[in-house]
Amino acid sequence: MTELARRTPWAAGLAVLVLTVPACSGGGDGDGDGNKGDGKPKTFTVANQEPTHLAPGAANDSYSIHVVNALFDRLTKINSAGKVVNEQAASITSTDQKKWTIKVKPGLTFHNGEPVTAQSYVDAWNTAAYGPNGWENNYYFGNIKGYDALNPEDPDGDEGPKKAPKPKTDKLSGLKVVDGQTFEVTLTGSFSQFPLTLAFTGFAPMPKGAAADLKAFDQRPIGTGPFMLTGSGWEHNKQITLKKFAGYKGGRPAHADGMTFKIYASRDTAYTDLVAGRVDILETIPPAKISEAKRLLGDRFVATPSGTMDYLEFPLYDKRFRNRDLRYAISMAINRQAIVETVFNNAFNPTGSIVSPIVPGYRPNACGTPCTYLPRHAKDYFDKAGGFSGTLELWFSNADPSYEQWMTDVANQLKQNLGINDVKFRKIPVADYLSNLSDHKATGPYRANWVMDYPSAENYLTTRCGDANRMSYDGEACMDLVTKGNRADSIEESVRFYQRAEQTLLKDLPATPLWNWQNQQGYSKRVGNVRFDPYENSAHYDQVTVK
Amino acid sequence: MWRYAVRRVLQMVPVLLGTTLFIYVLVFALPGDPIRALAGEKPLPDSVYQALRDHYHLDDPLLVQYGRYVFGVLFRGDFGETFNGQSVGQLIADSWTVTAQLAATAWLFELVVGMSLGVWAGLSAARRGGRGGGTRRGGFADAAVLGGTTVAIAIPSFVLAYSAQLVFGLKLGWFPTAGTDAGWPMSYLLPGMVVAAAELGYVARLTRTSLVENMRADYVRTAVSKGLPRHRVVVRHTLRNSLIPVVTYLGTQIGYFMAGSIIVEGIFNLPGIGHEIWLALQIKEGPTIVGIVTFLVLVYLFANLVVDLLYGVLDPRIRYD
Amino acid sequence: MTETPAIRRERDEPSAAVPAAATAVAGGELGGGAAASLWRDAWGDLWRRPIFWLAMAIMLVMSLMAAFPGLFTSREANDRCDVQFAKRPPASWNPFSGADHPFGTDVHGCDYWAQVVHGTRAPIVIGFAVTALSLLIAVTLGSLSGHYGGWLDALISRITDVFFGLPLLLGALVVLTAFPAHGIGAVVLALGLFWWTSMTRLMRGQVIAVRDADYVQAARMLGAGDVRIMVRHILPNAIAPVFVFATLNVGVVIGSESTLDFLGVGLQYPSVSWGLQLREAQNIFVDYPYLLAYPAIFLTATVLSFLLLGDAVRDALDPRLR
Repeated sequence: MTELARRTPWAAGLAVLVLTVPACSGGGDGDGDGNKGDGKPKTFTVANQEPTHLAPGAANDSYSIHVVNALFDRLTKINSAGKVVNEQAASITSTDQKKWTIKVKPGLTFHNGEPVTAQSYVDAWNTAAYGPNGWENNYYFGNIKGYDALNPEDPDGDEGPKKAPKPKTDKLSGLKVVDGQTFEVTLTGSFSQFPLTLAFTGFAPMPKGAAADLKAFDQRPIGTGPFMLTGSGWEHNKQITLKKFAGYKGGRPAHADGMTFKIYASRDTAYTDLVAGRVDILETIPPAKISEAKRLLGDRFVATPSGTMDYLEFPLYDKRFRNRDLRYAISMAINRQAIVETVFNNAFNPTGSIVSPIVPGYRPNACGTPCTYLPRHAKDYFDKAGGFSGTLELWFSNADPSYEQWMTDVANQLKQNLGINDVKFRKIPVADYLSNLSDHKATGPYRANWVMDYPSAENYLTTRCGDANRMSYDGEACMDLVTKGNRADSIEESVRFYQRAEQTLLKDLPATPLWNWQNQQGYSKRVGNVRFDPYENSAHYDQVTVK
Repeated sequence: MWRYAVRRVLQMVPVLLGTTLFIYVLVFALPGDPIRALAGEKPLPDSVYQALRDHYHLDDPLLVQYGRYVFGVLFRGDFGETFNGQSVGQLIADSWTVTAQLAATAWLFELVVGMSLGVWAGLSAARRGGRGGGTRRGGFADAAVLGGTTVAIAIPSFVLAYSAQLVFGLKLGWFPTAGTDAGWPMSYLLPGMVVAAAELGYVARLTRTSLVENMRADYVRTAVSKGLPRHRVVVRHTLRNSLIPVVTYLGTQIGYFMAGSIIVEGIFNLPGIGHEIWLALQIKEGPTIVGIVTFLVLVYLFANLVVDLLYGVLDPRIRYD
Repeated sequence: MTETPAIRRERDEPSAAVPAAATAVAGGELGGGAAASLWRDAWGDLWRRPIFWLAMAIMLVMSLMAAFPGLFTSREANDRCDVQFAKRPPASWNPFSGADHPFGTDVHGCDYWAQVVHGTRAPIVIGFAVTALSLLIAVTLGSLSGHYGGWLDALISRITDVFFGLPLLLGALVVLTAFPAHGIGAVVLALGLFWWTSMTRLMRGQVIAVRDADYVQAARMLGAGDVRIMVRHILPNAIAPVFVFATLNVGVVIGSESTLDFLGVGLQYPSVSWGLQLREAQNIFVDYPYLLAYPAIFLTATVLSFLLLGDAVRDALDPRLR
């Protein structure tokens, strides 16, 4: 019973990225064509957990995104080098990084034959950005002009009796269709990373009829990708059956005739089935099983770097943690290497950086001494901070037993290295955990996890330095640098600003980096050409061949 | 008897309402916000948040919510909706078959193995029962059955489950380690045995005690002194009467099996009721939790009713009024 | 999920499944003197049973460990743990071989012997605390219900039904998930909330039986008041079987507590308990079987000792043998 939160896998913090991007190969490099041969359809199975949504605008957990990724192409994709390239977009241009002109390639169609036009994108984005629809990817549209009008604020906050008024319009004023295949996007500010964000599945297009019945679209979406739903479609808690889209004209045609997402309640069973050959591809091998998987699967076990990070964040609204020396002491008393070895079988990488190694501008141990295990120095800082009074409460959620395991090690190390004897746990049900943090109810250091949305340092820094950060950290200096980076003309220049911002953040250390995740994947002997890359948490389904 | 049955059914109503209200309050009235959790680490704008809260009616007063829930269940058969848009009724319908198969396997196991062990031990005890007192220890069979089943009760079921999985599933490969792919009965044998193991001792013991007591009853002595063959006395007279308490007990077990499967279903990855409620508890998916508990209590009450009625059929001394 | 059916099977009609001791002592017509001699006879029978002494020996050792862990290990709980030395198997299967860590080290690099010894206290304290709490509730509600009858009886009986329908573990699971404050107190309350129901029914039955006994009727005719009758005549005679029943089922509570720990909703750090140790062993016991074996043996032995004691007492008290 290790994987408990089937319906909130993102909160369970599995080793997956929220961002999945279309397969990067232009096709044709496969070493076999699955759909020719003895006439029997060649299909493969992928282990998944029950998705929450299949409408791209609503699907925000990794299990939903796995499926959406097979069903939908987007405007851009991120190739295996981490560079953004066009997919359904013919061009994305801007002179001021604020007003963007997007041309959609002609001749592409939805699974029902309807052409993909500029309007398809504008409709999809308006639907997702319209608050009352309740689609979870809503916030990704927050930097498009007119977003506020679609999402009026609750006049007296969550607790107040008044409810947010109904929006007066359901169209983003920042979206304008110029002609059949062209539309303009006006952002609220300059944002050089905008094309990167468009690779996220949440920005996929929507056919005309979908708006009339969003619930139906969510259950049976009509997409544009290499695979389409079969008649049986999404059988809840059982499987989702897809077949090759015959009319596909995009850049990643399917090699197999079809694929099925088998739905598992836990990744442990999925792993057992993978080893037994009952499922072909598993993207989340549990960390506890890694050494066994290496032994049993050989080179069919694949580990790829990930953008996901774990941090220990400090509640700076509690004045005990406002003392930087104490934060340094705690950070230096944690033996990240030993924990990664024991708890994660060396599958994760101890880190001293805020951003992941797969993000442009990453520097190893950017933090330096304060994030290095130095028990003596830690004690010095601890004494300098005047010790610690009261109970030290460590917060984490019950989503995965490994959290409790490594927090126990942290507690033991703080006890051993700093002499803090009164350490208690606050293990919060996963449903309540994040609201506790954002409501500033955490009374001690807490586990924080970040899943990369798009490979840019900005994505990591804004959340921690911006006004809305959960730690009550005054990140003005850091945020200034991030904004400068957003406005910069070239990637290189923005990276320089982001690096300085990261440095500022790490010097204050309101959050200490712990480790960077890796994705552990494996596949069966039945399938070939299974490719994983760091910017894709699922395999490139289109390229998979069936033996 | 029908009047008795109707009265019992009527008595069930307040109990059922009380139980569901209790769980409902527990799940819905407490702090914590399942909707916010839906957004994961990403912020959830007010407007979206409000739209989702409205969808699940989370802002109505508790009693109104509860009233709507009961109304939905009673008049529309609607148990609510999970966070991924699936109906809870459907979820229960799907998972209940898994649990029912597991319960049936365990139940059969208990019935056959437990009662056989009990009869074996009971006969062994009765044979030596002449001196000292009938329900005292007697014979090797008696000691072995009592000792073995007592240890089986004492071992925590999760330890038993993991050990069985390791030995019979992984090492020996006799049974599938997990999942329902192999269908009934293969997939259910191992978990069924684990569920049954903890209860086997009680069935065996109950059968044994009951048998021994009956063997000492006057009517049996009469039968034996009349010259009837011993095995005929056992089969015709004692067994039937001895089984009454065992049947009662096994009947109440049905309810227990339905609920008692959380751990075993989890370890063996059987997507049954117990597993679903465990998952729902993790994410505070109110409708699922309340739905499943209501269902379990219904099964439990119904099983009890059937047992009581059956009791009357088996034992003519009992009259309902 | 070791839940003693004795609890579940107890029904309105006393069935053969109710511990014989309970029905025996209660008997109704038995006066105080008869009950006392029954207990004396039982003791005479008990002390000749090896099973009884085995159970007592296990209980004694476990109680000593719970009360004075210092007698068994020089380490405190969670003392000198270093994750760098985690999962070192014991040097040999013989814990007396003189090695540094007779039981090896656990996943956090703590001395496993010390942790297992310290893991004794929580389950035993919880076992008895839950029993005491449930007894208190059961005696109060059962007496009121049985003695006064009428609407009060109906009300209490229906409330009992509501809680009775919820299996102990499921109920405790829901409550503990809803209130995530995981100390010993929280676990005791959660288990106690669902543990009193059968005892209450038993108590009610006993009170009803004793209430109509001749000597109570006599006392009433002599003008004794409600309270006096209750305290002097009914309670002493009605409480014994409930008390015996409760004590013998302490093992069940201990088993349930460890299950809650195992599921991750029970105790948590810095508490140490067998259930928590089993929880940590669950994923890696294939490679490190000793992590599962040691706490499992201790836990099983403790639960077993209560079961054996129960068996012995039940046999000794069974009046049908006399």
